Amino acid sequence: MKKKFMLLTLTLVLAMMVAACGNKSGNGGNPAGSNAESEGGQAVKNEKLIVYTNANSDGRGEWLVEKAKAAGFEIEIVGAGGADLTNRLIAEKNNPVADVVYGLNNMLYEKLKKENVLAKYVPAWASDVEEGLNDPDGYYHGLIKQAILLGYNPDSIAADQAPKDWTDLWNNPEFHGKYEAPALLGQITPQLVVAGILTRHIDENGELGISQQGWDEVKKMYDNGVPMVEGEDPYANLASGKTPLVTIVSGTLKSKTEQYGVEAGTVAPEVGVPMIVEHAAIINGTKKQETAERFVEWLGTAEVQGEFVAQFNAMPANMKAVEKANDEVKNLYSALKAQQFDWGFLSDNIEQWVEKIELEIKK
Amino acid sequence: MFAMKNKGRLPLRPTAMIMYGLIAWFVIAFLIYPNLNIYYEIFFSGGKFSFEAIEKLLRSERAMKSLSNSFLLACSLVVTVNIVGIFLVLVVEYFKVKGAKLLRLGYFTTLIYSGVVLVSGYKLIYGETGFMTKVMSAIFPSFDATWFHGYWAVLFVMTFACTSNHVLFLSNAIRKVDYQTVEAARNMGASTFYILWRVVIPVLKPTIYALTILVFLTGLAATSAPLILGGTEFQTITPMILTFSKSVTSRNLAALLALILGIATLILLSIMIRFERKGNFMSVSKVKSDLVKQQIHSKLGNIIVHAIAYFLFLIYVIPVILIVLFSFTDAQSIYSGTLSLSSFSLDNYIRVFSSLSAFKPYLVSICYGAAASVTVVAIALMASRILHKYRNIWSTMLEYALLIPWILPSTLIAIGLIVTFGVPRWIVGNSVLVGSVWMLFLAYVIVHIPFTLRMVKASFFSIDSNLEDAARNLGAKPFYTFRRVLLPIILPSTLAVLALNFNGMLADYDVTVFLYHPLFEPLGIVVKNSTDPQALGDAKALTLVYTVILMIMSGLTLYFVYGRRSKN
Repeated sequence: MKKKFMLLTLTLVLAMMVAACGNKSGNGGNPAGSNAESEGGQAVKNEKLIVYTNANSDGRGEWLVEKAKAAGFEIEIVGAGGADLTNRLIAEKNNPVADVVYGLNNMLYEKLKKENVLAKYVPAWASDVEEGLNDPDGYYHGLIKQAILLGYNPDSIAADQAPKDWTDLWNNPEFHGKYEAPALLGQITPQLVVAGILTRHIDENGELGISQQGWDEVKKMYDNGVPMVEGEDPYANLASGKTPLVTIVSGTLKSKTEQYGVEAGTVAPEVGVPMIVEHAAIINGTKKQETAERFVEWLGTAEVQGEFVAQFNAMPANMKAVEKANDEVKNLYSALKAQQFDWGFLSDNIEQWVEKIELEIKK
Repeated sequence: MFAMKNKGRLPLRPTAMIMYGLIAWFVIAFLIYPNLNIYYEIFFSGGKFSFEAIEKLLRSERAMKSLSNSFLLACSLVVTVNIVGIFLVLVVEYFKVKGAKLLRLGYFTTLIYSGVVLVSGYKLIYGETGFMTKVMSAIFPSFDATWFHGYWAVLFVMTFACTSNHVLFLSNAIRKVDYQTVEAARNMGASTFYILWRVVIPVLKPTIYALTILVFLTGLAATSAPLILGGTEFQTITPMILTFSKSVTSRNLAALLALILGIATLILLSIMIRFERKGNFMSVSKVKSDLVKQQIHSKLGNIIVHAIAYFLFLIYVIPVILIVLFSFTDAQSIYSGTLSLSSFSLDNYIRVFSSLSAFKPYLVSICYGAAASVTVVAIALMASRILHKYRNIWSTMLEYALLIPWILPSTLIAIGLIVTFGVPRWIVGNSVLVGSVWMLFLAYVIVHIPFTLRMVKASFFSIDSNLEDAARNLGAKPFYTFRRVLLPIILPSTLAVLALNFNGMLADYDVTVFLYHPLFEPLGIVVKNSTDPQALGDAKALTLVYTVILMIMSGLTLYFVYGRRSKN
């Protein structure tokens, strides 16, 4: 008896492994493997959508699922960090799992576009989006604006003493050792801070498209700053005064102020700040093109975006939704200018820049 | 030698044939194919091989320095972890030490948490706002509050963090020491130390070899501790590998660096395998006479052992206590390192379990963890059996093939799986695995195979082959022998591996993020989403809350899978 039982257990375990391959051959006509597609999909074009996003934390994902349900969409969200999500989408491009991706920034969308991951689709609301934010080629279109800010602790640095631009941090010895250097280059925000410096020194003949002066600036930035540490919240270091000057993403400003009891001042440089826009796009090769299109049409409307920004204290890219944004957000953005980026150039080069910094520049 | 004997009786039975066939298929389909495929994609993507990656690395001062730091750390850890680990096991299992049961619990704490959180836990004590630092600053006003960083800080934390495997597997091994031999040695006048050295340690050798490799590997792959405590003066290579493995352009550098670390591990491994084969580990108890704890006769020695044991106990336990306490507070209290009654609340826990849907990820992760860890152990058992039974070119190839996942960072293993199985492949029945629920399961299995194999194999090799021969002479069939004679001996270690693997999979992020199925979001993703510094919630406090929840889950797993059985 016992022997048979053991044999059975072992066989079961093995059967599971075998089934790992057998599973799919059963419904081979459905390469995406999405169990969701069970309705047959011929009569009603309203299949369940798989939506990838990096902007679903803090209840934003649940909120969208609810709203979408009310509007007649059934969506399933796959949430992950922007860089990971982009890599996953590229790896899956031969057999896409996702139907729609929203929340990523221009740099990542450019990468996806280059890898042929996105399908071209211009929604009706595209014309309502602030000029210069959408993809001119029509692959992705703006939803939410986020600014990458240089923030300071007003208790340590008086407003009139504060730096006027990122470059002051390393060019003014006053700030040496007091600011956080964007060392965790596996993340997108630090990458954009670096890009914000390097792209001021574009030079066709320079190394990786950047003049020597640009590289010198970045070197000084790392030499005189305190490197960001994994697992630490930069805002905590701002609040404690360990590094009173840190990078802050505008959308988190309000909640961090409440958590740490310190309201950071922000710097508005002449050249502007890296403004990242969260976009929406359809995945090339989706089996549910029609539903995906209708969903994107719905997602970007002024009504949906207006409700979203009011609820989550964000800034919409859709001009018709701006009035719904909270006053403090509007005030913050009225003082800020977007730094001009050639996103295609950025996305082509950022990985090489990061590699060079990791290997040659960082201490 | 005994293995050779078996070769004579080789009319393969059908069940054995199926087993070998399955193993071969699994190894080729999931270990060799996707991993070599990703190496090929990386190095030959343009159709030709380039040495650019090697040049780039050689030119980079930082990369070379980090690489040498990684090796320095790995070598130092082999020494320190073995010393501390063996001491812990002797205190708990071998010597008569008062309160050994309590100490054992304390020493087990590293099994229930790891990574960033563990290091942060130590930082709560020794960091800038930590308790120890505050005490020292009060005594010596000129004390530097930022003292806890660099090589020594990393070595300190990792030495204590990496003894998990010692307390599990070495404890199992030491229980197999033949008490009668110890008795005999003592009657002949051997000193405590001499008995330890000549009777006890030799029995522990196969396990110590296996553990040494694991420690070396952990040292090479160290990420959290150097990142958090290393500062600019002590950086290691793995954080760089992680950054590079996420970028398409730099993937070749990541793969190359991982290959270097992998080859170093394999070299050490071959040395250890050689030791293992030369060794004669036959002093294992054949007649079951339980080891009786030894009194330390020297009074001074006894006091010193007790003092060190309890001092270590404090080092192990305080971070856990602080993590639990601080999980009830908020971000402000955590970064300033202050505990006050007014900041205590249950809010964090309520937020984490606010809705019913919050429980689904736990269920998903438990199911994946259970299925994958059982499968891994089953594969490792089969493979170890083969390695134990046969010693030929095929078994050697099998052993090294099963260690392939060690030469790739887990991110690249995940990407290799997607790239390989994103199109129909005949080896998996012409099906597309990407997008199915099996991807994550396969990845968990693949990533955990080398560790599992090492540990299971080590316990296999400490089995006295006479037992097997005796069973066979009495007419037992191979499977019966395996089940009734061999399995009971290796069961404690096997279950320990099972529990460890399960715990490791519970909150995994690196592999999971690439492979998880949209309808089944695992816990690791939820944790990462809500504890990311960019998240709006109180990320600091939530990190600790999830840590406490995972500690409880891991603790329960260890207790139910491993703890209860190991007592008898």
